Amino acid sequence: MLIRAGELASAGEPFALATVVNVRRPASARRGDRALVTPDGAVYGWVGGSCSEPTVVREALAALGDGESRLVSTEGSCASEGAVEILVEPQLPAPLLAIIGESPAADTLARLATGIDWRVVWGLDEGADAVVVATMGRGDEEALAAALAGPAGYVGLVASRKRSDAVAKTLRTMGVEEDALARLKAPAGLDLGPIRQEEVAVAILAELVAWRHARTPAALPAAEAVDPVCGMTVSLASAETVVHEGTTYAFCCAGCRARFEADPARYSVIGA
Amino acid sequence: MKDVLETLKGWNAEGLRFATATVVKVERSAPLGPGAVLAVSEKGEVAGSVTGGCVEPAVYDEAQDVLAGGPPRLVTYGIADEEAFEIGLPCGGTVHIFLGMGRRDLIDELATAVRDERPVALATEISGSGIGTQRLVDLNGHFEAAIEGDTFFLPFAPRPEMYVFGAVDHAAAIGRIGKFLGYRVTICDARARFATRERFPDVDEVVVQWPDEFLRGAPVDERTAICVLTHDHKFDVPLLKVALETPAGYIGAMGAKRTTESRNERLRAEGVTEEQLARIHAPIGLRIGSRTPEEVAVAVAAEIVATRRKAAVAA
Repeated sequence: MLIRAGELASAGEPFALATVVNVRRPASARRGDRALVTPDGAVYGWVGGSCSEPTVVREALAALGDGESRLVSTEGSCASEGAVEILVEPQLPAPLLAIIGESPAADTLARLATGIDWRVVWGLDEGADAVVVATMGRGDEEALAAALAGPAGYVGLVASRKRSDAVAKTLRTMGVEEDALARLKAPAGLDLGPIRQEEVAVAILAELVAWRHARTPAALPAAEAVDPVCGMTVSLASAETVVHEGTTYAFCCAGCRARFEADPARYSVIGA
Repeated sequence: MKDVLETLKGWNAEGLRFATATVVKVERSAPLGPGAVLAVSEKGEVAGSVTGGCVEPAVYDEAQDVLAGGPPRLVTYGIADEEAFEIGLPCGGTVHIFLGMGRRDLIDELATAVRDERPVALATEISGSGIGTQRLVDLNGHFEAAIEGDTFFLPFAPRPEMYVFGAVDHAAAIGRIGKFLGYRVTICDARARFATRERFPDVDEVVVQWPDEFLRGAPVDERTAICVLTHDHKFDVPLLKVALETPAGYIGAMGAKRTTESRNERLRAEGVTEEQLARIHAPIGLRIGSRTPEEVAVAVAAEIVATRRKAAVAA
């Protein structure tokens, strides 16, 4: 399981690591049991059966969304008297910074970003979390328009304030929408009054760190539903589901699904 | 000018004469600041840059004229914003550039001083009767290139010092970014087990000594950055007391709000004034939500840059 975790990590794939840290018997999991959860809701490993798994998946996806670790308990969500406490830790790949432009400023920024463990790619990359354009006037507008049309949450331009204003104007005439322009940071970087290239790079990285931690949770957490039989909140990504009279019902486990299927009328009111 | 020194040494060795064009003043924003140098050898070779491309062709022609026996001169270029926009440069503003023949005998001396990190400045007369004469002088606090009267002082200061106290993970990250910003970085900790070369291969020096004792004997000027990560009043309090007696440009100390408050209480009890306490950046680093040591290092670097730029503007 840890080997798989290592493989995912080196491939730059996000996952959450779940570790059983406390057990109240009777429970099927033991302290130290581990599982990892991928963003599609798949579980590898063992942290307890149907009682804990749906909770773990739900919390794992939430953790992948907001980047925070959490301690979850299966207290009350299980038919048996036991309960387990599970530490869920998101393992997010280093953010990917795309740098566009061949300039000393671009090289300097790349050097610093790599130094603080960001991944750097040259040129526009679909998977980039952030894009910084530093062509020094050789195609800033085109590069920014392309970046703003993509999914990157941060798009920055290395230029003076004056030049930045001029570029923003040009982008408007090029037909870039206002809400896309709202994502544009120009000039890129916190206003530290920097002059040297190294200082500009520090100002930009500082802004990127601030942006990374301030942004609202990504769209990762999948839709959730309440199991109409036991009342547990489950993630649709991993749940057992049944479509009854046009409505999808989600269940924590096959047992709950079986009970529902035996008497849908009894539970469908709650779920509807 | 540091960037072209090696090339100039090479031309010197070949016996080539050369002219230098030096940015001595900029108004509003310009791509490169005072001290940027473009050199042209008598064979027409070029080294360095004065504006990153905006006015280089014109400067090159002026340099050729100086090489052909023309007088030293001060020229001014307004980089019109429209023009800057047209040729696609991120510039604008006005640059004043001084052109003269390079003093070949000074170059080797200057290169040696720079290598040995000796504090010197290249003083050039850019106006008046002595226009064009150059000499090496003591740095004498000229950390920023500046014109004084008829003289342009171009400093070749040794790297500024960064002292990081506390041999923790954050120290390694801060040390790395300190090097990136051009500091000579020393990490100091009283615990020999932690302050080792193996743990901090990237910094200039690792010192095992009581922090306050070390700082008392270390060179400090207004460019010095002091980062206190010891996170233990036993070390922090005497160390910060010594730090506050120095002219250090940046003093930052790690510790959450409550730790900072209780540390301040102890410092007050030691006779430290409120004005002195205000010099300490605590908790260390700009608040950008840093989590990892690397992110903390970025926050610290950003705070150092902001602090020294503010100081430069005020000066």
